[in-house]
Amino acid sequence: MADYTAILPLIVLAAFGLLAPAVRILGKSDKATAIWALAGVLISGFFVADFFLSYPPGSSVGFEGVVELNYFSALFMLLFLSVAAYVIIASLRYVDKERHTGEYYALILLATTGMMIVASALDLITLFVGIELTSLSSYALVAFRKTSKRGSEAATKYFIIGALSSAIALFGISLLYGVTVQFPEVLVGSNPLTFENIGAAVSAAMGTPAEPIVFLAAVMLIAGFGFKIALVPFHMWAPDVYEGAPTTITAMLAAGSKKMGIIALFKVFLIGLIALKTDWELLIAVLAILTMTVGNIIAVSQTSLKRMLAYSSIAQAGYILIALPIAAVSDPAVAAYGLAGGFFHMITHAFMKGGAFLIVAGLSKVAVGENVADYKGLARRAPWIAFAMLIMLFSLAGIPPLAGFWSKYVLFSGAIDAWQLNDQNNWMFWLAIAGILNSALSLYYYARVVKNMYVEKGPQDRVRVPTAMAVAIGICFVAVIGIGLYPQPFIQACIDAAHAFLGI
Amino acid sequence: MTFVEYTWLIPLLPIIGLILAAAFGRKTPEDGGYFVIGSVALACAMSLLVAYEFFTGDGTPVYASQVWIDLGTINGVQYQFEIGYYVDYLTALLLIVVSILCTLIVIYSLGYMHEEGDRKRRYYVEIALFITGMLGMVVASNYLEAFIFWEMMGLCSYLLIGFWYYKPSAAKAAKKAFLTTRIGDISFMLGIIALFGSFGTLNYHQLFDPAFTESFDVNYWMLLFAMLCFFGAAVGKSAQFPLHDWLPDAMEGPTTVSALIHAATMVKAGVYLVARSFPLMVHTPEVMIVIAVIGGFTAFFAATQALNNFNIKRVLAYSTISQLGFMFLALGCGGYIIATAGADEHLLEVGNTGYMAAIFHLMNHAFFKALLFLSAGAVIHAVHTEDMRKMGGLSKKLKITSLVMLIGALAISGIPPFSGFWSKDLVLESTIAAAGVNPWFWILYIAGTVTAFLTAFYMFRLWFMTFKGEESEAAHHAHEAPASMWVPLVILAIAATITGLFLLMPDGGLPAVIYTVSPEGLAIPGETLGLGWIEKFFTAWPTYVSLAMAVFGIGVAYLAYYKKTLSMAFYTKGGNKRIYDVLQRRYYFPEFYDYVGEKGMYGLARLVDFIDRKVVDGVVNAIAAVAVGSSGRFRKAQTGMTQTYAAVVVAAVSVILVLLYIFAGVR
Repeated sequence: MADYTAILPLIVLAAFGLLAPAVRILGKSDKATAIWALAGVLISGFFVADFFLSYPPGSSVGFEGVVELNYFSALFMLLFLSVAAYVIIASLRYVDKERHTGEYYALILLATTGMMIVASALDLITLFVGIELTSLSSYALVAFRKTSKRGSEAATKYFIIGALSSAIALFGISLLYGVTVQFPEVLVGSNPLTFENIGAAVSAAMGTPAEPIVFLAAVMLIAGFGFKIALVPFHMWAPDVYEGAPTTITAMLAAGSKKMGIIALFKVFLIGLIALKTDWELLIAVLAILTMTVGNIIAVSQTSLKRMLAYSSIAQAGYILIALPIAAVSDPAVAAYGLAGGFFHMITHAFMKGGAFLIVAGLSKVAVGENVADYKGLARRAPWIAFAMLIMLFSLAGIPPLAGFWSKYVLFSGAIDAWQLNDQNNWMFWLAIAGILNSALSLYYYARVVKNMYVEKGPQDRVRVPTAMAVAIGICFVAVIGIGLYPQPFIQACIDAAHAFLGI
Repeated sequence: MTFVEYTWLIPLLPIIGLILAAAFGRKTPEDGGYFVIGSVALACAMSLLVAYEFFTGDGTPVYASQVWIDLGTINGVQYQFEIGYYVDYLTALLLIVVSILCTLIVIYSLGYMHEEGDRKRRYYVEIALFITGMLGMVVASNYLEAFIFWEMMGLCSYLLIGFWYYKPSAAKAAKKAFLTTRIGDISFMLGIIALFGSFGTLNYHQLFDPAFTESFDVNYWMLLFAMLCFFGAAVGKSAQFPLHDWLPDAMEGPTTVSALIHAATMVKAGVYLVARSFPLMVHTPEVMIVIAVIGGFTAFFAATQALNNFNIKRVLAYSTISQLGFMFLALGCGGYIIATAGADEHLLEVGNTGYMAAIFHLMNHAFFKALLFLSAGAVIHAVHTEDMRKMGGLSKKLKITSLVMLIGALAISGIPPFSGFWSKDLVLESTIAAAGVNPWFWILYIAGTVTAFLTAFYMFRLWFMTFKGEESEAAHHAHEAPASMWVPLVILAIAATITGLFLLMPDGGLPAVIYTVSPEGLAIPGETLGLGWIEKFFTAWPTYVSLAMAVFGIGVAYLAYYKKTLSMAFYTKGGNKRIYDVLQRRYYFPEFYDYVGEKGMYGLARLVDFIDRKVVDGVVNAIAAVAVGSSGRFRKAQTGMTQTYAAVVVAAVSVILVLLYIFAGVR
């Protein structure tokens, strides 16, 4: 009997997603649909966790060798499923007055399936299919409130720019295909676009006339995936879309879909294009620093909290991208440590940024505005929610002992380790410096929100966030504090995942 | 050794008080204040037992820790973070000072905060959390643990400065303090990462062990960078130039907070950090010069701003900055001597005198500055104003307060036998010793001596303006503070009188601290001197110079603000007014910060935002317009942002490609 371990979580989630509209029609209840979707996430998560917790983790390949479940992909599947879980729980009350909730939950599950496919993809076409599945689902989700002018406009922008970026990425993929088939002697198996084959073909192409083609493909892929990550200068859609989308969907875009883009970039560049690293590592480093700096600087002048958090998300992607050049160094231990820093920051960011967006969503449900000024005196109106927001923001700023501090610590000390390896990586020191200076900068606007909540005087009436949303916020809150107090197992898991990712 | 093994309990005790106050505060008298007093007093008792045990022992550092996070082995080094405690001379002395002051100030709060109503519970909870942070930082066994407690203090300081949140000035001050000290905190984190990258550990007992550090082939510039970063952290926390301006504004908080956090404990954390890192810093003479120069300059610079301020608490705040500058001055001078001494045992001992002077001054200052602040609190409590021009003639109504404040003023001015005299003289002595190595240090000696004059002047200006002269309107209704307030004042006054005399104890006493891990390695300066210190002091010329400066300063203040025979009007009119105004405006530092913060930061943000959205748009549209050659098309393009975004994506791909082909050198 065939081994279905690798594809079972994907099949379960897709099936639950496809059946969700039917459940809505037959069950005639939003609540039942949400519970159905949650059940799908939990069952799928059970299969992943079952694999993840069996130590030592092995590896299982499915679908004729295009997806692989290993320690790395299992870790990120769990992350994406956790994001889906808290988004669904929060949505239980956030979209309860809307129509088409069956489709809403179906699209969330399908988008998550796409992210999981990206995490487990072994070749470039599968990766692309996963990205497209997520993208198409999220275009529709952003436009979910059809009557909202802002939402429809955001979705249109998102769709057009997304389609353009997909075309660019596909162009890059086809160029790579053209290169790989020129070197049939180094290919293994019948699929020329597996990352292994691309890696072998690209290193064979070095010094041949095909090299500039690889080069062009690399730039196309940076641009195509850079869109998903909202990498500067491909970031301009992000604030508009984050602001216009329903806030629960914004949380999913920031916590899930963005991470998917980063994983795609990591896979292509660290496995496929590693032979070209002297050419792209400095470029990625510059883009990373540019992304974090531009994101943080623009965030300072924002008055809308959602836009501010959107720019902050752009900046956080810049921090994570630091890991890419570090992971390309030749020393495997340092590379794995640096990559683990990137993974760990993706995990912590998913909870702290997702949590922050959910708080905005929950408060907008009880008629608190989405501007920073609307949060005046929140500490007295909703003490626990204000405290949770304080924790999320301080964690984003990297204040110990919260989760965000540890992930930044591992990330930046990874840069210092790489810098110490040899004189070739002199500039890696500046990655750490840029990251820390940017953390200082970011505190400037986080502190403004905290000051509004705790120090300024505002309305006196108490507000109560709906229970379901409070539960979702609570999940993120516990995660941020829990990872902060006991980061050991998470760091260890990230290091193991980095080893699995790099195949060492 | 029994008590020392329970050192870890000290920072945990106030947490218990915090939890009890938060849970049952509403139902108990003083909104949970008694829980906090009880737990802090227990922590104090525990600290004193630990310190007693350590000082009667052989001086070997005691430490223990648990592995908290294990990152595995990288490049043959086991990367671990631990959590634990580390007790040496410095820790033990700090434990005594911090725990006694915390206890006294929390007791004083009972009276001072009595009328605050509902907000008291919040006050006690935040104070308890702060005390946890301070004690935790003192006993921490590694830099990371210290950093966590350091941040905890920063947060509490922020919340307590903004305690009266309905005052806009308090809200602004809280934010300023938070952001300014955070610059230091970021520097601290950078230093930690650099140090971790160099040695693969952050544990004090490893880093301070020469056998361990010498086994590493460490990049000197990396160590220098890490040490500069640590000093940068100290500059933020201890309000040294150029990050000093938050401390005067922090006086917007309750006076007890000013006394505890912004005079006696938290601002000392920077000095503590530098003193703690001394075994590493003495390898980098450049850093020591920076510390000495910044310290000496800040001492003088801050003292000048205290000269003509009318707010009683702000005068004391500038005085705190100035005295902290003295501590850094002594650390820098002592460290510089040690860094250049090589194996010369005499110079090493002289250098350690500077270290000892700084810690000694830290201890004395903590007591007399807490005394001055709490006395000022008693005055404010009586007259309900902080403006010294509205005080005057209070000595008849506030007999105890005026007397204890006089003791505080004498101590800070450096009049023997009060505590400030002994430590300030040791500080100046260390600058002279450093000048023996490098004559440029004479400048710092002169700056320190002039500061001694300024200090005596502004302190007695404060005292005369407040307690002597015409009885003001506010003085008619004034009455002495309740016992819970004046009893701590009297205890502190006794401390301010006698802590300096600890130097004369036969075995070197409490101030005899050394920085190395092995007590055999370095002689304690003047350990056998005992009463011989008196002879040493009064046979040296610098003692008489600084005494003359102090007496001269008091004399000028007496003539100008008591006898009124010396008019200060000369400085407030005509061309001379400019200096006066510059001092009043604090050298325009608030404006400078506002400019950098509001104009610079927000301006840059708006500019980048503008470029991001409008200029790029405009350029793309202009290109479109030129290409199509029609203004109609131009207008149309401007309405659809999406086309612009798409054009930016394509343009960016092209630009990156071109740049890569140029720079990455594709053949």
